[in-house]
Amino acid sequence: MPALLDRRLVVVTGKGGTGKSTISAAVALAAARRGKKVLVCEVVAKERVADFFGRPPSGTQIRELVPNLYSVHVRPREAMREYALMILRYETLYRLAFENAAARYFLTAAPSLAEIVMLGKVFWHAAKEMERGRLRWDMVVLDAPATGHGLTFLTVPEVFLGLVSDGPLARDMRTMQSLLADPAKCSVCIVTLPEEMPANEAIDLDRALRQHQFPVGPLFLNAAFTSRFSPVEVASVTRGGPLLTAAGEAADTHESRAALSQHYEGVLREKVARDLVKVPFLFERSFGAQAIDKVAHAIEGVL
Amino acid sequence: MRTLEGRKIICCVGSGGVGKTTTAAALALAAAMEGKRALVLTIDPARRLANSLGLKELGNEETRIDPRHFDDAHLTPRGEMWAMMLNLKHAWDELVRRDAQTPQQSETILGNKLYQTLSTAMAGSLEYIAMEKVFELYSSGRYDVIVLDTPPTSNALDFLHAPDRVLDVLDNNAMRVVLGPMMKAGKVGFRLLAVPSGLVLRTLARFTGSDFLRDLGQFMMAFEGMYEGFKDRASKVKALLSSSRTGFVLVTSPNPLITQEALFFHRALEADGIRTAAVVVNRVQRDPRRHGGPDNVPALKEALQLAQIKDTDRLAERLCETLTEQVVLADLDRREIERLRATLAGVPLFTVPRLRKDVHDLAGLWQIDGYLGGD
Repeated sequence: MPALLDRRLVVVTGKGGTGKSTISAAVALAAARRGKKVLVCEVVAKERVADFFGRPPSGTQIRELVPNLYSVHVRPREAMREYALMILRYETLYRLAFENAAARYFLTAAPSLAEIVMLGKVFWHAAKEMERGRLRWDMVVLDAPATGHGLTFLTVPEVFLGLVSDGPLARDMRTMQSLLADPAKCSVCIVTLPEEMPANEAIDLDRALRQHQFPVGPLFLNAAFTSRFSPVEVASVTRGGPLLTAAGEAADTHESRAALSQHYEGVLREKVARDLVKVPFLFERSFGAQAIDKVAHAIEGVL
Repeated sequence: MRTLEGRKIICCVGSGGVGKTTTAAALALAAAMEGKRALVLTIDPARRLANSLGLKELGNEETRIDPRHFDDAHLTPRGEMWAMMLNLKHAWDELVRRDAQTPQQSETILGNKLYQTLSTAMAGSLEYIAMEKVFELYSSGRYDVIVLDTPPTSNALDFLHAPDRVLDVLDNNAMRVVLGPMMKAGKVGFRLLAVPSGLVLRTLARFTGSDFLRDLGQFMMAFEGMYEGFKDRASKVKALLSSSRTGFVLVTSPNPLITQEALFFHRALEADGIRTAAVVVNRVQRDPRRHGGPDNVPALKEALQLAQIKDTDRLAERLCETLTEQVVLADLDRREIERLRATLAGVPLFTVPRLRKDVHDLAGLWQIDGYLGGD
């Protein structure tokens, strides 16, 4: 099995608010540092990755954030246009078919068409886009929509092919499906937090991803706390009088979060058969390039 | 919350992962404790409510919370607490069966290949069905208050405008415009032609394949006659949601990215003429400085010595590091809450500290209720 950084497509999934964008950025940064040309595709409502590196939003234009690391925000409307143009070739034909009230109706009605074209665009970057006779990107990182949606997003080709068997979209969805199923070229990772709901959802997501036979990538346990005090220490500081009230409370708070981290790490290790990577909680006054750098170091082990 | 008094419907809105379900359940519990018959309606996929109520499973039906759970939590409610978990597929099927004009019509729709996908995958489908359900429960008059835990939408506007989008899709007139060239009016309504004709359709077919267009046409034809009922209810739901009988509660965490979303939602509500009833900020870091006491290594060493605690393995340093980290978090949270307060001038704001344990029973919910009163 090739290392994570040797895959053509790395998909980062998980519940909303678990830090998918952070992990996507960190994986991309680690790859870029090793000389790979990396594109992060953000298929979420709000673009985040460019901001981590102190850069203005990339929008739908691919922009370089740091050497070798690029990002793009994939939005349904623009993706639809680009994609349709690729197939229809002529702008006039596109306008005729897609920019009228009737077609807009059709585009809302067609289930998951937005997801299909967005996935189609990511696929194009990962497997088709050429530059000087070779593929333009060594690696594409897909920051996928939140769970529930996340799985729906990846199974879009499957759902679509169940409904439609002919046409250029169906052909592309078939190739996309085989890329998404190929462990030599693709890896689907999960990001979660040491809390009850996110942990449960990670377990469900892992099961669903396996059922659909997506290549099994690592499980990132984000914002983990590590124990720092023994129970005896917490007890004695807490009872140490008014001067130590603040310190006692802080130590107790830290240990209760560390205990939660440890508990859910145990649950996840037991129920999810993936490499588990602990990413420490970061106490940063502002979340920027430095923080991403720390995360990139923390995940070094599974790259 | 005084701000929620007299409301029949409470919608908890906000990004995923901010404790929306827990807040919704806590509000329903508070209402039940006060003597109301309260129902909390939550959405299926994450099985969240089941978790936070310590229940194994909630079906797609109204379930009364077992009084034993109240005994376990040493609570004596004057009213009743009910819960319901919404199953998307199930709810759509129910709706079709109820609204179809003939049994054949409901069978045709339920058996349509596209319906299976459309009912669960269409944008706004979940939001639409949640609103249908709220309206149905409200109209039944069985509950004094219904608390809705909204779907974790990525976009605030999706939620409010979901009914419009679903209605657009089901609008048969629009369908006739698009698929018209594929259909021929006959004695018994419409009939589909095998091959898409007309330039627009032919071009679309090059994109999606023609089978798909035919299936879509069939699906739309099956819905013939049901659209009016949908539309009528949707406008009633809208009127209900914008009236003073409904209160919107924005649930957020102090994370700047999440509060941005909350503010976005607030503005979206305002644009629709709806005033936010309350804001709940969950998981706020308590500031250790409120106790005073030493916050640097030499002073901590001294305090440890005074308390006759051995400063082994750099205990003072570890304490200092921990205090510093939590001060950073408390400062960040405070700054964010102040910003929220300033922007949402006049909207009651409640902060719930980060609790030592996950909330998964009534006792935990009641603890949260302790922070949600007093406005």
